[in-house]
Amino acid sequence: MAKRTEVLVSGFGGQGVVRIGQALSLAAVYQGLYTTMLISHGTETRGGYVRSQVVMSEEPIDSPVVENPDYFCALSKAAYNRFKHLVSHGVIIYDPGYVEPDPNLNVKQIPLNARDLAEKELGRELFANAIVMGALSKLMSGLLDKDIVIKAMLERIPRFHEENKKAFELGYSLL
Amino acid sequence: MKRTLDTGNAAITEGAIIAGCRLFAGYPITPATEIAENMSRRLPQVGGYYLQAEDELAALHICVGASLGGLKAMTATSGPGYILYADPYGWAIGSEIPVVIVNAQRVGPVSGITGAPGQGEFYLSRYPTQGGNFETIVLAPNSVQEAFTLTVEAFYLAERFRTPVTLLADQLVTDGWETLIIPETEEEIQAMGLKVIPRRINEGPEFYPATDEIDIPPVVLGHNTGAACSDWTPTAEGYDTEEVEWQHKHAYRLIYKIRNHKDLITRYESYFLEDDPEVILVSYGSPSRVVKSAVKAAREKGLKVGGLRLISLWPFPDEIFTKTAKYLSVELNYDGQLVREVQRAMPKGSEVHFMGKCGELPTVAELMELIEALIKGQPLKAKPWEMEAW
Repeated sequence: MAKRTEVLVSGFGGQGVVRIGQALSLAAVYQGLYTTMLISHGTETRGGYVRSQVVMSEEPIDSPVVENPDYFCALSKAAYNRFKHLVSHGVIIYDPGYVEPDPNLNVKQIPLNARDLAEKELGRELFANAIVMGALSKLMSGLLDKDIVIKAMLERIPRFHEENKKAFELGYSLL
Repeated sequence: MKRTLDTGNAAITEGAIIAGCRLFAGYPITPATEIAENMSRRLPQVGGYYLQAEDELAALHICVGASLGGLKAMTATSGPGYILYADPYGWAIGSEIPVVIVNAQRVGPVSGITGAPGQGEFYLSRYPTQGGNFETIVLAPNSVQEAFTLTVEAFYLAERFRTPVTLLADQLVTDGWETLIIPETEEEIQAMGLKVIPRRINEGPEFYPATDEIDIPPVVLGHNTGAACSDWTPTAEGYDTEEVEWQHKHAYRLIYKIRNHKDLITRYESYFLEDDPEVILVSYGSPSRVVKSAVKAAREKGLKVGGLRLISLWPFPDEIFTKTAKYLSVELNYDGQLVREVQRAMPKGSEVHFMGKCGELPTVAELMELIEALIKGQPLKAKPWEMEAW
């Protein structure tokens, strides 16, 4: 395992960007890792810009700033355009419902149709973030056990556990 | 031990509970609101009291009153509320009443930006009230875990020194999420090196001796000679006086009980200083996390760079600046506050440079660029606040 893993999740308020960060960070705690998570957001409850910066490591973490994400999850066009240049060796996971990928970027970019799938398969856009978590869990399976991510996710999501588990599995199976 | 993921705000709450805090009065403000929220839930569970005050002025007055009544008390705010504490802060300093004050610094001046970090109250925490003739004690955590331990420490120092202690945090420490380890038994509290002293009661007749003594129990109203504990100059018995002689003794005690026991307060972290580095980065609070990463990265490149992190800010630890070097002060403000104290404390032949940001942390890449320029003797490039649009 690399000593330090950086995850950046960004989108707009209401998409569950903070929940995704919390679930991953909590999973890291359960996995016995050190972790930090910084949240930046506007003052709006919904619709404003939101960013979660998650760092995990086997050693105590000095800087909590994500400067070179191993995983960048872009859930809005603005987020994608603002942070895509940070990725040099990592992968970008983007929702094509919001993001038009930049073909000139020399990094791996994975489309994940979370919003549309959540609506089609689970009936509500609300479950898109659990699909994203499932996909991230698959990508990070060398670092975090799937069961641990599910446990952490359910602790951070108060309701609709069955639907969220289903959404998680859907995201997990897509990558 | 309980190992969880939580915020600095939660860590401060749990630290206060373990330290014996049994009253919290506050007025909500980002990024410290969750301390009030958590306290309103936790205090009733341990037989304590939570009060939502009508404003910050009332909040600290309530805390000081509760402390005079024998309870350990705490309040929490951000910069716009901290300035409103000025009046009761002075009362607590002058009447020597222990209380813990949290300031989760955000972007200023005035209301500034709510959910983003700043470091604008470094000097305000030295002079939080009018009149002079006092020293203050200020501690600055840089992580969620340290927010916990320093809260316990703040209560400990407040009791020993009979004075308000400010925990000068910032938005990234209070709102940030991190691994948090909390002791659950008395043995675990001791194993973590946490010191807790119960509230003692001064039985008089003299509780304002003209000395620099610490560890004198604080006044609890109704338990001694009937001290006024007003905001006027006290006699040794605690009565109001207008005599200059008593004012002199009072001021001496307020200044020297802290100055002469500075060794009990000073806390800092230093790294890579053994080989007399050319450049030493100085910081406190959340920027110090990035600074440490940058210093380590510079060392990996073979650059002679070291770091000094202040954990106690006031009284300012002049004595830790022993190396002649190019100092780089990294702060979350653009006016350079720490930089002036470094300039004053550093040995002759040293230089001090400044890297200021506000609202977000600097990056390792930005700091590396500055470190390399300083080592090569080049002038530092454009300041972060010099925007293209200007």
